[in-house]
Order: sequence, then structure tokens, then C-alpha cells
Amino acid sequence: MYGIFMECWVSMKLFFGNPAQIILLIASAIYLTVTEKDIRKKLILGVLPLVVLAGFLVPVTKIVYVAAFDEGSDTYYRILWLIPMYIIEGYAACSLIFRFASRMKQRMALVVVLAAAALCGSLVYLNQYMSVAENFYHIPQNVIDICDIISPEKNEPRVRAAFPSELVHFVRQYDTDILMPYGREMLATQWDYYNEVYEVMEKPEVINAKELLDATRRTGCSYIVLKDDRKVDEDLVNYGLKVIESVDGYLIYADPVVIEEG
Amino acid sequence: MFKLLIAFPALVLWVLVVPFCIGLLFNFILPRHRRTIGITYILGFLSYMAVFEVISIACMLNVTYSAFTCCTVSFTIVSLFLGALGIARSIYLLKKRSLSCLTLFPGEAHPDIRDFLNPRSDPKLFKTDYTFESKVYWGIFFALLIFQMVMSVVMSSFDGDDAYYVVESLLAQQADVMNTILPYTGSSTSLDIRHALAVITMWIAFVARQSGIHATILSHSVIPLFVIPFVYLLYSEIARILFRSRQQVIPVFMVVVSVLLMFGNVSIYTPATFFLMRTWQGKALVANIVFPMIFWIFLWMMEDIKARRDYPGEGSGYARYDAISERRLLACPWIMLSLVNMFSGVCSSMGVIFGSGLIALLSLLLLVLSRRWTVLLGAFLCVIPNLLYLATYFSLFFR
Repeated sequence: MYGIFMECWVSMKLFFGNPAQIILLIASAIYLTVTEKDIRKKLILGVLPLVVLAGFLVPVTKIVYVAAFDEGSDTYYRILWLIPMYIIEGYAACSLIFRFASRMKQRMALVVVLAAAALCGSLVYLNQYMSVAENFYHIPQNVIDICDIISPEKNEPRVRAAFPSELVHFVRQYDTDILMPYGREMLATQWDYYNEVYEVMEKPEVINAKELLDATRRTGCSYIVLKDDRKVDEDLVNYGLKVIESVDGYLIYADPVVIEEG
Repeated sequence: MFKLLIAFPALVLWVLVVPFCIGLLFNFILPRHRRTIGITYILGFLSYMAVFEVISIACMLNVTYSAFTCCTVSFTIVSLFLGALGIARSIYLLKKRSLSCLTLFPGEAHPDIRDFLNPRSDPKLFKTDYTFESKVYWGIFFALLIFQMVMSVVMSSFDGDDAYYVVESLLAQQADVMNTILPYTGSSTSLDIRHALAVITMWIAFVARQSGIHATILSHSVIPLFVIPFVYLLYSEIARILFRSRQQVIPVFMVVVSVLLMFGNVSIYTPATFFLMRTWQGKALVANIVFPMIFWIFLWMMEDIKARRDYPGEGSGYARYDAISERRLLACPWIMLSLVNMFSGVCSSMGVIFGSGLIALLSLLLLVLSRRWTVLLGAFLCVIPNLLYLATYFSLFFR
């Protein structure tokens, strides 16, 4: 039981990111429990969040949750979504600010509250997964450029293309007429699937050209996209492939054998 | 350019106008002091999404070829019909009563001298004229809101789940299928039951098809422009109840909440992170729309208990307004809650289960505070959509 409690504790710490956030929430809830005169608000915004938080840490909750849901361990943190965090903190902050009688003190308290929120938090736009958008699709421009080259014309059959891991998330967000031998499912470590193209294209440090072509031809890949500095034991051109374009450091190979087979 | 000229009005029509018109059709269920423009839109949007859920799931399960076209045509007809009825009802009311905004939205009224003098009226239920300082706070809040909206277009965030959800929308738009092609690779597959009933991806595809905008652009660059203000509309409604007697505090609350959300990226798990980095995904909508909405409706019901105690007698406290029947006053929030439950199913199957749990918890509190058995009845009736959703889910799962 202690082990499960510690798992819940770690989940909670990961959710809040830093101790200041937990303190802020608990302090707000306790403050409202103690000072709020309206019993309804006291219960919903003060007592209930503390109960949910305590319930989250109780091992039995996690045991039941994991038994009920397929990916229970991964999504257990979502129970904390049931705490209306921003309403509680916002309401507690406003209650505190307007306890001051003088207008000037109220304004100063607001500035302090906003500064505390900013200092204890983390600005979403500075997140490592945030970047300036290259286009309205919000996907890398090089993916769009590559897809525009290999995409079939209207009324032509769809094409299959093997892309390196870093691009597979985006290809079909741009064009669903481009099929892939493997996609994001191969990158999620928790799934542990097998895919023959992925095995020979992404796993080895140096690609074995013959093995790669065997796999891509078996899966009907008309195109192979590789980073230009990706190590391959032999030039793919020697096996009949043609380099049709180089885009932003990626070489696009067309396989006439597969294309002619249609 | 021509595409944009067509796209923009279509977007406004399907995201704002049609839901609002549907709201106009049904806003008679709202107590008069809550019949505002904002709550009418919320009600309309929930009704619109409920209709979409029923039609899209029916098409997905029963139509083999061109399922998405069938869904699009059916939903277009039904929602336009409901919207037209809403407009017709509004015209009728405006002609019958007076040609004023307050005829349709009496909740937008400000108190006048009669309301202050009448011992049976409650001026707190009316809207407030804000002081200069409050207007400054509103200005700061709107600046933060616009900043967040602009950043949602200018900045792009990477999330692996987009390879699934966004591609589902795009497949519906481009290949006319509903969850029967594997998004990651493009292979055909049987209906993906785990995600299929969360038809928010299909609604995005519907708007994409009607507007002609690529579903990925719509998800990443357009939907946030709608969701972000919608979430803040909800927070402002919550604030209106929390600060009923001190409405000057509402803009301060809005500023604090918007800063908390903007600086809420303390981990990848927080609702704030989902709100501003994965705005278009069902999970983000559950965390930032569905759960706050459930809290809002329970705060509303708890406020009604207090109003009933403070001003006993049917329809009291509404002064300048017509009386509202006790039954309608009681039923309205539960109806709204049923619609919220349907919307949570649209967003995510997880939302259905979590939402039911949250409603059970809050109903228990409401029961204790109100000591009315009707709470149990309301709580049971409002989760019926969730029970039907789960029954459908499991019947498909074990088929």
C-alpha cells in the first residue's frame, strides 16, 4: 500500500510541477474553508478540493482506477482535473485582495498576486515544445514541401512513402493521400510494436540498403525519404532508385519498380 | 483570397451563428435573469453539439460508404432548421413585445430605480455598470485574451496525439470516412471504438468541409480562436455567480484566471497546458470546458437555493421580470447538465465517466444543502445520456 501511495504522491508532484503550485492550491482551499462565510462556496471551493486531493492520494482510488481503465497508470493524474484549480485560486486571490479597505492596497495586492502566479508558474509560450509557427498548418514547412512533391494528382491512386521518425507525425496531417509503412505508433515506447520497414530504416546506425529495399518493396513504398547525412551502406541509386529532389536536408528517392507496379 | 472570402462567413455561420440561433430557440427554458447573450450562446452551442453527437454516431454506425457526407448533409439540414426556428421565434417575440435587446435577453438588464425601491426585488441579479477602475481591469483582461488568441495562431506546439486526432478530422474531410482508416499509416481498419464515439474530430471535419479550410489549419489555427474566448465566457459566468453582490470584482477575477492559465504550464498534465497547447483536442475541452461548466451549473443551483430562501414565493426576486414557474426554475440547470454530459461524450469517453463522478459528488453536496429529493431525480435524469453513451460504447466493444 505504501508503494502505491508513493506512486500517487509522485503523480501529484509531476502534475503540479513544482511545490509552490501545490502549496498555492492547498493554501487557497484552506483559506476559503476558514474565511468564506457562504457555506456553498466554502464547501465547493474549499472543502471539496481538499477531499479530492486526499482521495487522489489514497491507494485504493488508484487500485480501482487502474483496474477500470486500460491505461490507468498513465492517466491517473486526470483525477486532479476534477479540482477547479483556477477558480479556487482566482476566487481566493480576489477574496484576499478585496479584504483590504484602501484602494491603493487592493491594487498593490493584485500586483503581488499576479507576480506570485507568474513566478510560481511557467509561461506556456516558453515551453520546449512551442515554436514560432512556420505556416497555418502548424507543421514543419519541409514536410509540406516534401509532400507536395510526392503527393498524387487528383484521381491518381494514393502513394506510400517511408519517412524518417522525426517527420512521421506530420505527413498525414498535411495529406492523407500519402500512406506510410509505419507511423507514430512505432515511436511510442509503451506500445512496442514491430514493423519491418521501421526495423531496417530507423533502428540500425548504418542502414543496410538491400534490407531496406526488400522491406519497402514488400510494403509497396513508392518513395523513401532520408536525411542526407543518414548513413547507408550502399547508395540506394545503385539499386535502381532515383533521387527526385532534395528538400531542406532530406533526399527523396523514388522507386520505379514499385511505381510501375502501381 | 476567394477561398478565404468564402471560408470566413462559413466559419462564423457554423461556429457562432447557427449555435446562437439554436440558443434563441431554446432560451425560454432559462430563468429570465440568466437569459443573457452569453448563456444563450452556451445553451445553443450545447444543443447544437448534442444534435451533432446523435447524427454523427448514427451515421458512423449505420452508413458504410460516404458516411461523413451523410453526416454532413443530415446535420446541415437539422441544424439550419433549428436555427431558422430560433430566428422565427425571436422575430415573433420582438414583434409581440418590444423591439429591444431586452426582449430576447432580459438577463442583460441593469437595475433601475424601481428595482432598488421594490422590497421584493434583488438588484444583485441585474448587470452592473462598472466603475472606471473596473473598466481598466476589463481592458487588461481583454488585452490578455487577445494576446492568447494571437499567440495560438503565431505559435505552434508539438503534440504526438495530433497524428491521431487531427488526421481523423482530415480523413473525414478528404476521404469521406468516419474513423475507419488508421490515421497513422492510412491502412483500412474496423471502427476504432475506443475513440470513435468522441466525435469532436468529426465536428471539426464538418466545419472544415463547410468552410473549405484544411482540417489541420482549422484545428491548429482557427479552433483556438473560438475555444479560448469560450472558456473565458464560462469563467465570467462562474465569476458572475461567485461575485453576485460585488460584480466590480469580476474583471479582477478574470485577469487573475487568465494569468494563472497563461503561466499554468508547470507540467504537461495541467488543464492550462492542455488549454493553450492542445486546445483543439477533446481532452483539452473536457478539462477546460466540461468540468468548469459542471461547476458553474452547480454554483447556479446553489445560488437558486439561496435565492429561494432569501426571497420566498414563486418568481420572487425577479422584480421587473415575469414570474418563472418553480418547475422550470428547478429543471433548467439539470437540462443544461444533460447537454453538458452529451458534450463531454462528444469530446472524450473519459469525460463521460469523470463527468458522472463529478456530478455525483456535487449532487451529494447539493442534496445536503437543499434537502430536496428532486436533486436525486435531477442527478439521475441528467446522467442518462452518459449511461446511453456507455451502453453504446460497451455494446460496440463486445460486439
